[in-house]
Amino acid sequence: MNFPPIYSFPPLYTRQPNAVIRNKQIDSWIDIILSISKQQSLWEIDSQGKFIQSDINIFDNKNIDRIVSPLFIKEILQNMIKNQKLISKDDVGNSSSYFILWKNLDSWASLMLEWFETTNKLNQVVTIYELTSGDESIDWEFHSMPDSLVSKCLRLLVKRGRATILKDEFNKDIAIKVV
Amino acid sequence: MGQKGSKIKITEQDRAVLQLKQSKDSIHKYTKRTSDLISHEKQELKILIQNNPQKYKENKKTRFILKRIHYQEHLLDQASDQLINLENMLSNIEFKLVEKQFFEGLQNGNKILTKLNKEFTNVDEVLDDVQEQIAYQDEINEALAQHVSGVNDYEDEIDKELEAMEKELLPHEELESNPVPNMPSVEKLPELNNSKPKIEDTTPVKKPIDEEQQRQEPALLA
Repeated sequence: MNFPPIYSFPPLYTRQPNAVIRNKQIDSWIDIILSISKQQSLWEIDSQGKFIQSDINIFDNKNIDRIVSPLFIKEILQNMIKNQKLISKDDVGNSSSYFILWKNLDSWASLMLEWFETTNKLNQVVTIYELTSGDESIDWEFHSMPDSLVSKCLRLLVKRGRATILKDEFNKDIAIKVV
Repeated sequence: MGQKGSKIKITEQDRAVLQLKQSKDSIHKYTKRTSDLISHEKQELKILIQNNPQKYKENKKTRFILKRIHYQEHLLDQASDQLINLENMLSNIEFKLVEKQFFEGLQNGNKILTKLNKEFTNVDEVLDDVQEQIAYQDEINEALAQHVSGVNDYEDEIDKELEAMEKELLPHEELESNPVPNMPSVEKLPELNNSKPKIEDTTPVKKPIDEEQQRQEPALLA
């Protein structure tokens, strides 16, 4: 993992009283979280600031023996939600964990469209598994993206009039046809 | 959600392909899981051997794990074969769809071609008609050509007639203009006076006869 130098700077872990400085502090935290999630392909984080598929506890820096207080973690996460770097996992918006968007949904949708175009998958049914876990998308950034986040991106393609989603008997998105 | 409104159609083939792909996906998942399991068990085996370098061969657990690894590897092979089969099938279907399009294209082309050919059904009639028209045109041309040549002949005759008339008239004028009997000089130059009337007298008498003969010829021809 490549942390920016500021990650080893102890004052980063204490909530700064000055609002201007605190905003910068929060921005630094957001940058750190996004860059680590991108490096490690981490898609989800819970409301306590723990990554779901990984043991990494980003707010606990053992090297300099500093942790971020739970309240300040919440404040950081709230800021991320406000900036749409985090979105709620379900559509209602009250889940206790979030998807991390180091790219916004629109960019993800465009990237997927690019994959469909470059791998000649247009005009045929492609399963979501094939899209995110198949051998043909290993080098793409959205490889290993969780299904429900994929669905959110694909819905944007449907909105653009480029795709149709196929569902299984439980009304779960399982495949897509892009033209 | 509101995806129902999109215009992209899902055909029966799409559904069939989807089913195939789903089974492919589950086999893919299975192979992933199995290879993970195998590498995990191999790791376990290594630890067992390291922990008991002397008597690991007698250890039932090591034997059991090794057997399991072999069995899993066997299953993995089978799964890979099946995966290849499915992938082959998918590409076959895809190719068949392309072939279908190709065939449809041929059919359409053929349809248009026959339709266009139908428009040529009375081509014989038209050609006969054209031939007739050409023949008729030739006739007309010939007729016209004859007529024109007739006019030409006629014009020749007119030319000849005019020439003849000219020759007939000119000598008369000369005769009239020559004051033969009244001139006083006539007596002084008798040689000149005698020679001139002699020449002019012979020509006018002969010409009118030719003229009448030629005029009668075209009348007979017509």
